[in-house]
Amino acid sequence: MAVDMELESVLRPPEFPQAPYPPKVITLANGKRMVVREVTRADVPQLLKSVHPTLFIDRDYYNVVGARVYAELIAWQYYRVQNEYVLVGQVDGLVAGIVNGRLYSPKVGMSLHTLAIDRGLRIGAHLFAAKMEHHIEYLNQDEVLIVAESPIGFRRWMIEYGLEPTTIPHELGGAPSYKLTRELYFKSKSRLVVGDRPVPQDLMDVAQQDLTVATEKAIREKIAGLKGR
Amino acid sequence: MRDVAVIGVGMIPFGRRDQDTLMDMLAYASMKALDDAGLGDKGVDALYVGNMGAGILQHQSSIASALVDRLSLLPAAAEAIENGPASGGSAVKNGVLAVASGYYDVVLVAGGEKMREVTGWRATDFVATMTHPEVEYPYGITLPGMAGMFTRLYMEKYGLTREMLVEVAIKNQKMGALNPYAHVEMMITKEGIYESPHSVVNNPPAADPLHLYDACPVSDGAAALVLCPLEMAAKLTKNVPVLVAGFGQATDTHTLQERDDPTDLKAVTLAAQQAFERAKLKPEDIHVAELHDAFTVLEIAESEHVGFFKKGEGGKAVLAGKTRLGGKLPINVSGGLKARGHPVGATGVAQVVDIVWQLRHELPEDRQVKNAQNGLTVNFGGFGNNVVCFILRRVEQ
Amino acid sequence: MINITAYKCKKCGRIHYPRHERCLSCKHREFEEIKPEGNAKLLTFTQIFNLPWGFDERFLIIGVAQFENGVKAMGQIKAEDAADLHTGMPLTASWEPVRYVQGEPVYGLKFAPM
Repeated sequence: MAVDMELESVLRPPEFPQAPYPPKVITLANGKRMVVREVTRADVPQLLKSVHPTLFIDRDYYNVVGARVYAELIAWQYYRVQNEYVLVGQVDGLVAGIVNGRLYSPKVGMSLHTLAIDRGLRIGAHLFAAKMEHHIEYLNQDEVLIVAESPIGFRRWMIEYGLEPTTIPHELGGAPSYKLTRELYFKSKSRLVVGDRPVPQDLMDVAQQDLTVATEKAIREKIAGLKGR
Repeated sequence: MRDVAVIGVGMIPFGRRDQDTLMDMLAYASMKALDDAGLGDKGVDALYVGNMGAGILQHQSSIASALVDRLSLLPAAAEAIENGPASGGSAVKNGVLAVASGYYDVVLVAGGEKMREVTGWRATDFVATMTHPEVEYPYGITLPGMAGMFTRLYMEKYGLTREMLVEVAIKNQKMGALNPYAHVEMMITKEGIYESPHSVVNNPPAADPLHLYDACPVSDGAAALVLCPLEMAAKLTKNVPVLVAGFGQATDTHTLQERDDPTDLKAVTLAAQQAFERAKLKPEDIHVAELHDAFTVLEIAESEHVGFFKKGEGGKAVLAGKTRLGGKLPINVSGGLKARGHPVGATGVAQVVDIVWQLRHELPEDRQVKNAQNGLTVNFGGFGNNVVCFILRRVEQ
Repeated sequence: MINITAYKCKKCGRIHYPRHERCLSCKHREFEEIKPEGNAKLLTFTQIFNLPWGFDERFLIIGVAQFENGVKAMGQIKAEDAADLHTGMPLTASWEPVRYVQGEPVYGLKFAPM
């Protein structure tokens, strides 16, 4: 659509400088290699296809998380969110999961969502860890504010990272935030954050050139795991 | 006592079955077993249902009465059998006794559990209710925790290694990936869960020294079978009858701490001995086995306690490939609890169903143990405090 | 004060904890009530990361230990990592809250490396 840049300058939130996330590669339990990398606004239409099926899955609050990620991606594409970043995990080019967050201020991060599209391989754990790594090590922030929208998320993030409870309302609905500090991050890093850099060029080429998504049916079956009689 | 045959079997795919109630699952598996036997509209004399948690997880009781009604098998006798994770094995055993005694002729046995109805930590708490309510449960002990304490001692005493456990997990998930009834359909690699530095996240400790991939998943599922006197089998079914050649059941102390040697799974040894005596067979006569690998360590320990291998040799046998399909004694060709899944009340029935398929030579080539004649199951309740073992034999017609 | 009562068979001397109606070794029905005495020796242990409902900790370390007078019991172990423990190591024992049910403490055995 035609964009009125004069008006856009009013509508778009101002941004702080934001360091990029250096890509990494993780060997998964099934031996496959998952490239974790930062994507650009141009990738959003393709990513939306992999989020769309989750809007209709109520298991494990996938619909809540999926719908919000869907909206956040579009808002980011059209410059309506301040300092958002989006990381994806890709196996053979195929999107296995998406995480995003943003800079609330140069020193305080706001974790948004973790959406695992492939399940049973700890994709969510790896991608959430990459997000924390980005905030603390590359965006050089002091703390990240986090809430969980599902019991699995609560167990995984709040308890595994030993996050500190706060009374700060999180921008995802106002629940009190939990806080990851630099100290907590580095205390847990060795058991929660893995990955190799640099990513071999051949893997990186596949990830960048073939950002592919599974079919809606495949994604819904994978997540909902529906079994016949 | 009459010889008892399994004449029909059925199972539904294990996994997470949000769309089904516990009764749905039990009913689907039961109808499959009745139809497999070819009973048509004939009734059964009795129904036994193995289930551990309906009262806790579904807030439902008297499930056998509900099932017999749903299946239109009234006025057959019906009861539920609760014996922890050996509920399924116990239900089969009671069915066998009922037919063997001459009191009933045709008996349906079903086992089922719906565990994914609750969150993982509610399910963990549910399973932990089988521990001692005063001297174990309050501390937060879990069944994986019991297995962890056992594993540590087994490693120290017998030289069991993590590598051996990893091989069990890989073997069983590989077989599970081929089994349409298995919960876990994903293959794993040694690099991914053990060798790579990234395995600290892929396969974190769960109950040290056991890791995530040492444990079975929490599953929904059901299985069922039909029993009758062997002498009536040919009249009732076209299937190759499978004889329940022997069974054994034994118990051990409720708490691990009161066992003189906690690495000695006495109930497994005794249950297997009874079964072998009844069947007039020896461990070397068995061609295929389904062991209760709720944790990888248990497949190895049970393979030693039933007499397939000497103590301390079971892990080496795994590394040498002896327990793989194509090896000397294939164990858990179904994927075992590790991959097929462990809906607790269903497991003991499902193990017998899988062995029946093996002995009827009905499985596809990539899962069939060639020319298998005799099979064994171990259904392990509590932490080894109540164990049911079956030996089944193909009856050539 | 460790609030555990163990039961020593008056015929064969076998120590039971918890209580049984008859001795697990000789079936005798009379027991002397005894208390755990002295320090304890760690028999086995585990560090559990997937805890049941009712616990908010990241992990618990739980083990079985034997007191100097032979009483064996399960308890929670105060340690940061299972790697800091080994079987056979001496432990001190205390009686402390081991979990909370509806906000109320439930007391039980806690062990600590000496």
